[in-house]
Amino acid sequence: MADLEARAVTKRFGGVLALDGVDFEADAGEVHALIGENGAGKSTFIKILTGAVRPDEGEVVLFGEPLAARSPRDAASHGVAAVFQELSLVPDLTVAENVWFRRERLTPLGTISRRRVRRDTRALFGRLDFPPLDPDIEVRSLSVAERQLVEVAKAVAGDPRVLILDEATSALSPKEVSWLLDLARRLAAGGMIVVYISHRLAEVREVASRITVFRNGHSVGVTEGAAASEDEIVSMMLGRRLERLYPDKEATATEAVALRVRDLRFGHRLRGIDLDLREGEILGVGGLQGQGQLELFLSLFGVLRARGTIELDGRPVKISSPRAALAAGIGLALVPEDRQNQGLLLPKSVRENVTLAVTKRFSRRGLLDLERERALVGDAIRQLSIVLSSPEQPVGSLSGGNQQKVVISKLLLTRAKVLLLYDLTRGVDVGTKGEIFQLMRNLAREGYAILFFSTDLQELIHVADRVAVISDGSVTGLLEGEAITEDRILRASVAGGTAA
Amino acid sequence: MTTFALRRLGQNRPILLAYGGALALFAVTSAFSPGFASANHIRILLIQASFVALVALGQSFVILGGGIDLSVPWTLNGSAILMTLFADGQNRPLVWVIPLLVALGGLIGLVNGLGITALGVSPIIMTLGMNVILSGGLLVYTNGSPTAAAPAFVETLATGRVGPVPYNTLIWLALASLATVVLTWTAFGRHLYALGTNRMVAQFSGIAVSRVTVVTYVISGMTAAFAGILLTGYVGQAYLGMGDPYLFASVAAVAIGGASILGGSGHYLGTIAGALILTVLAGLLPILNLNTASLQVIYGVVILATVALATLPGRLAVTR
Repeated sequence: MADLEARAVTKRFGGVLALDGVDFEADAGEVHALIGENGAGKSTFIKILTGAVRPDEGEVVLFGEPLAARSPRDAASHGVAAVFQELSLVPDLTVAENVWFRRERLTPLGTISRRRVRRDTRALFGRLDFPPLDPDIEVRSLSVAERQLVEVAKAVAGDPRVLILDEATSALSPKEVSWLLDLARRLAAGGMIVVYISHRLAEVREVASRITVFRNGHSVGVTEGAAASEDEIVSMMLGRRLERLYPDKEATATEAVALRVRDLRFGHRLRGIDLDLREGEILGVGGLQGQGQLELFLSLFGVLRARGTIELDGRPVKISSPRAALAAGIGLALVPEDRQNQGLLLPKSVRENVTLAVTKRFSRRGLLDLERERALVGDAIRQLSIVLSSPEQPVGSLSGGNQQKVVISKLLLTRAKVLLLYDLTRGVDVGTKGEIFQLMRNLAREGYAILFFSTDLQELIHVADRVAVISDGSVTGLLEGEAITEDRILRASVAGGTAA
Repeated sequence: MTTFALRRLGQNRPILLAYGGALALFAVTSAFSPGFASANHIRILLIQASFVALVALGQSFVILGGGIDLSVPWTLNGSAILMTLFADGQNRPLVWVIPLLVALGGLIGLVNGLGITALGVSPIIMTLGMNVILSGGLLVYTNGSPTAAAPAFVETLATGRVGPVPYNTLIWLALASLATVVLTWTAFGRHLYALGTNRMVAQFSGIAVSRVTVVTYVISGMTAAFAGILLTGYVGQAYLGMGDPYLFASVAAVAIGGASILGGSGHYLGTIAGALILTVLAGLLPILNLNTASLQVIYGVVILATVALATLPGRLAVTR
């Protein structure tokens, strides 16, 4: 019998069968990957392991004992820890305090010793060979990537028997990813069961000794990590062959400059950015994490007030707020970094989310024309093939990929011609990724100008017409055509000032 | 299509529940007290409910947007006292006095709103501070001495009727319709819900978050001021402290009506049911023959319990 075994686990939500008699086996000492498209049942299965959801039928057995976790706390006491894409840290506490949150060893007075917490954190970071991070800074001031790293430390701090990493690399830089993969292997070698969930197949094949594939609530196969090709795995996930992930590049870029940025400065994060984005062009933005890419996007969208000149379609514009950005000239629109806190009103309907930025377009004499709104929403859903049961469904109940499509359709309705896409494919499944890249190319062909940031080098290489590499707040390399290679991007990333 | 209809009903469930509660409470009270369900008494109940409901109208807008207005008691009180002072028992000056006072209420809201959006003061502190300033200011201004009686016209507005329906109820109905239209069928309404659900998403969607916020406080100031005028007509005079009960009552009416106290969900239609429940409750308790102090305790406990019950379905839905 396997060390962690699920037998015939079934879970229904209302009329939807999320898991239909799923079997799963993983052993101590292995990194076991669990993959599948969004909606395949991975999340539900993980929620059952971590006690957030209870199965209708079937059971989970951990080291010979039934694991019937009633809550995430209960699961933790059985030695099951998880790192999710959605972060669970307390922003006002320090890194160290978060790592030991609710696990603090108390002094005789019942208080928490900050010094001990700090010392334990240093020791833990040392043991994990953790990327350099000050244990004393508040989590509020960390980037999403750094927060994700702290989540990992927090999960490992409790010495779990089962460690679940659910899209834990989605915001990490290549260097941090390889650290995490290495850590996963070391922890497994030390006798832990590591369950690894990711949409990034390259990572999965690199780290996992075995891969279990879920599709439509079933477990459809187990393969050895290195044995299966990426194509074979994708076919298993989709139940068909995926034609292509990346569409062909096309010379859709024109000579007309849609967005011209000159000497954009924001504190020490942006030190004079110059960019030209042409109509019909997909301009990739790359570089190591936290070099000013986020600040660039937020400045262009008016969330941050940066100094410098911004021209849209040849005319200088002043952008003091997102409202001004959407209204300026040919319009600037942003797919934000954090879908859940910046992009969507999760409890509200798909319909309300899609039209939130364009209520004017279906107002007549101050009153909303709800018929017209429904028509707009219907068109948007068809155009992007958003999968849902009803436009009145809360947007939070959609899969990550479909949520991101809702964000995109909201953007397109604003009729802004310059699209700022920040880490668009984060937490989006392979099938939807392909659709999104195709959509980007179609939009470029229609004359949209697209600024595209991604943490995934492959995406930049295969999707962007040109790539601007940013390092320490300025553009350190501008690559075009054949010159867009992993090697050149990485070299420009660490070049620090010299043009590539 | 069925799921669409079901979801619609599901969204309105807290509101239906609140109306059900109001009816049940009314039925129970009528059983204990024979005169309670008479046409005359129902009219009185409606008039009494309208004051809470008017103050709670503005409060609904503020709470939907994720704020709270604690300055309503003395906005109401100030408007009541200034009305009796300015009009001095005469009908004629009301032509300018009523618009002026409603505008003043709006001005108080404007200051609240600007303090919150431009200066970044938290809504609780800003409006609580405003309430204290207003109460102190009024005490200084009036020297604590009683003012003239309410002009006859205001009394008619508050207690007179056309056919079987009080004027007061008609005014309430008109304002309630207006509020419903604004919340359901205008861009402002959409933006307000967005703001209350997630301020950052609203901002990233290009919504003028500060402007929407300020407008909600302006509305709240105006409705509180207007309620003060009508209440003076009902009571016959203005006195210091007459607005005090309306702080808790207005917030409770919004919460009982199924709105999230954190903003983003709810509707004025629910608040109306909340105001009705509070009014029937206030009528039920004296029938139980208790002294005023005990009444206060029970009133408070019952309201808290009702709010807890009213918010229960929402919490269950979240953890599901």
